[in-house]
Amino acid sequence: MKKSRLRFIAPIAVVTALALAGCSTSNLGGTADADPAAEAGPIKIGAVLDVTGVGASLGVPEQNTLTMLAKQLNADGGIDGRDVELTIVDNQSTEDGAAKATSKLIESDKVDLIIGASRTGPSLAMRPIAEAAKVPMISVAANIAIVEGSQWVFKTAQNDVVVIERILDDAKAKGYTKLALVRDATGFGEGVADYITKLGAERGITLVMTEAFEPSATDFTPQMTNVRGSDADAVIIWGINPSAGLAQKAYVQLGVNKPVYHSHGISNQAFFDAAGDAANGVIAPMGRLLVADQLAADNPQSTVIDQFKADYSKAYSEQPSGFAGHAFDAWHIAVNAIDAVGTDPEALRTELETAKWTGISGVFKMTAKNHSGLDASALILAEAEDGRWNLLKD
Amino acid sequence: MLTDFLQLTVAGLSQGSVYALLAVGLIAVYTVRHVINIAQGEFAMLAGLGSAWLVAAGMPLFLGVLVAILTVTLVAIAMERLIIARVKKLTPLTSIILTLGVSTLLQAIMLLAWGPEAKGVPLFPGTNILIGGVSIRSQEFWMIGALVVVGGGIVLFYEKSRWGKALRACAEQPVAARIVGISPVAASVLAFAIAGFVGAVAGVVASPIYLSLWSGGVLLGLKGFVAAVLGGFVSFRAAIVGALLLGMIEAYVAGYVASGLRDGAAFLILILVLVVRPQGLVLKPTAVRV
Repeated sequence: MKKSRLRFIAPIAVVTALALAGCSTSNLGGTADADPAAEAGPIKIGAVLDVTGVGASLGVPEQNTLTMLAKQLNADGGIDGRDVELTIVDNQSTEDGAAKATSKLIESDKVDLIIGASRTGPSLAMRPIAEAAKVPMISVAANIAIVEGSQWVFKTAQNDVVVIERILDDAKAKGYTKLALVRDATGFGEGVADYITKLGAERGITLVMTEAFEPSATDFTPQMTNVRGSDADAVIIWGINPSAGLAQKAYVQLGVNKPVYHSHGISNQAFFDAAGDAANGVIAPMGRLLVADQLAADNPQSTVIDQFKADYSKAYSEQPSGFAGHAFDAWHIAVNAIDAVGTDPEALRTELETAKWTGISGVFKMTAKNHSGLDASALILAEAEDGRWNLLKD
Repeated sequence: MLTDFLQLTVAGLSQGSVYALLAVGLIAVYTVRHVINIAQGEFAMLAGLGSAWLVAAGMPLFLGVLVAILTVTLVAIAMERLIIARVKKLTPLTSIILTLGVSTLLQAIMLLAWGPEAKGVPLFPGTNILIGGVSIRSQEFWMIGALVVVGGGIVLFYEKSRWGKALRACAEQPVAARIVGISPVAASVLAFAIAGFVGAVAGVVASPIYLSLWSGGVLLGLKGFVAAVLGGFVSFRAAIVGALLLGMIEAYVAGYVASGLRDGAAFLILILVLVVRPQGLVLKPTAVRV
C-alpha cells in the first residue's frame, strides 16, 4: 500500500468518527422576549433531560416519571381544565445540546416552564438562557451553583454541600481524619474538593488527595492505584452511574481496603448493576425513596413515596430511582404553582419562591434566597448490602 | 512506587489487548479491500450488549458469548455482501463514508434494542490474584488471553495456512492473485468475517469490567485505529505491539499526569506518528507484511 495515502486518509477517518461521536456545534443563540402568557389553551411544560449519553441512568427514569405524571394529570382533567402539553428533549448529556434544547423550547415551543437538566453541567448551560428569557426553570441536578444567586432557576435534587456535610459528620464520628476524593470531572464534581477542605477543617478532617474521572471512563486503575498509595483513612467517590459503580468495582478489586463513601449520585439500580458485590459496605447519603420500607411509620414522606413507587412500578415494571424522585418533585412543584397562579412568568416565579412540597427527595421549603428548598434533613445515610440499601441513620 | 507502576502496566496491557484485537480487525479488512472500517468498534459493542442480553435472558455465560460472537461475525459478512461488495468503484474515502453509515445504523439499532444505559456481561470464571501488592483481576487474564489466543491465531493463520497466504496474496498482488485462481470475493468475505470475529471477541471479554454501551464503539474503534496506524495499517505484529504500548501509555498518563488527558494521549500519538513516521512501528516498510 502507499504510505502517502494513509497519511491523507487517516485524519479524515478520525475527524469523521469524532463528528459522529456527537460534536454538534450549531447553536440557535439569541433570545426572544418571553411570550406574554396566553391564559388559555394548553399549558406547555418543556423538559431537557440526559436521556442518552453518560447521564442516561438519570435521564431515562426522569423521562419515564414526567411522561407518566403528564398522562395522569391530563386524565384527571389537567390544570383548571387546561391540558398540559409536555415536550421532552434529549440533550445527549452535553452542555451544547442542553443549551440548544432550551432555546428551542423557549423560542419555538413557547413553553411556560422548563424542567431539567439531569446533570449539573447541562443545567448550568441552560441557566443563562432561562434567566435571559425570563422562563422559570427547575433543574433536577445537584450542584448548588445551578441556583446560587438565580432569579428564575430552581432545583429539586439535594445540594452537594449538605451531602458532603452528612459524609463528613459520619467520618468524624468514626474517627477518620484524612480523606481522599475520587470525583467526577464534570460539573457534578466541581467544587466538591473545596467544600470538603472548607467543611472538613471545622471537623478536624483534611483532604489529602483528589483524583478525577470522566463520566464516560471505563478503567479506574490509575485513580485507585494512587488512592491505594495514599495515607487516607477513608475515601469519597463522587460520581454517577455507571462510572461511579465501575469505580467502586475497581476500588475493591485493586484491594484499596479503606472505608468508602459515595454521593447521592448513585441512588439507583445501575450502581448495583455496575459494581456487583463490590457495592457491599458502601455508605452514601441519599433521599428516603430507596429505604422507604425501613422508614418510621409516621414519616411525613411515606405516603407520597409509597404512592409513587406503586404508580411507577405499575407503569414501567421496575422500581423508581432517586432521580425519578427528583423529576417527580420538580413536576409537582411546577404544577402546584401553575395551578395557583396560572402561567404568567413573573407570577409563576414569585409563587415558586414560596413553594412548599412534601416530596420524594425531601420536604421542600423554597424561599427567595433558597431556590433549592432542601436542608440536611432531606438526607439519610444508607449502607449497601447485597443489591439493596439498608437505612443506617435517618 | 514500583507496585503502582506495575499496577498501571497491568491495566494498560489488558486495555491494550482490546485495542489490539480491534486493530487486527481493521488491518485484516484494509489489506484486502482497502476499506477503513469505522464500524469496527460497533462490532465490539454489539457483541457485548448482545451477550449481556442473552445471559440476562437465562442463557449460560459461554453459550451466550459464543452466540453473540457468531452473530456479529455474520453481521460483518452481511455488511460486506450487502454494502461493500455492491460498490463499483471503492476508494478509501467512499469506504469511510459507507462504514460510517453502517456504524451509525448499528448504533441506532443498539439504542433501540437495548436502550441508552450501559450493560455488562457477568464476570468470566476465575479468581483475582495479588502478587507483591499488584492486584490482577481475573477478567484481565481473559482480556490478555483473548489477544494471545485469537490475535496469535490470526497471525499464525495468515502466515501458515493456505487461506491466510491467499489473503496475503490478495493484499500484495491482487491481479496476480486473481490469475492464479484466488477468489477476490471469498477473500473479501473472509477478511470481514475476521474483522467481525475479533471485534466481537474484544467486546465480550472487555464487557464484564468496562461495560458495553450503544455509543461506546466510536472511541474504542478510534483507539484500535491508532494502533492500526502504529502498525502502518499493514503489520499485525507492529499493530499489536503498538496497541499494548498505547494501553500502557494511557494508563501512565492517567496515573501520573491527569486522568482527563488519557484519551488525548492516543490522538497525540496518532498525530505524531502520521507526521513523523507514517509507516508506524513497521521496521521494513518496503514490502506488505500482514
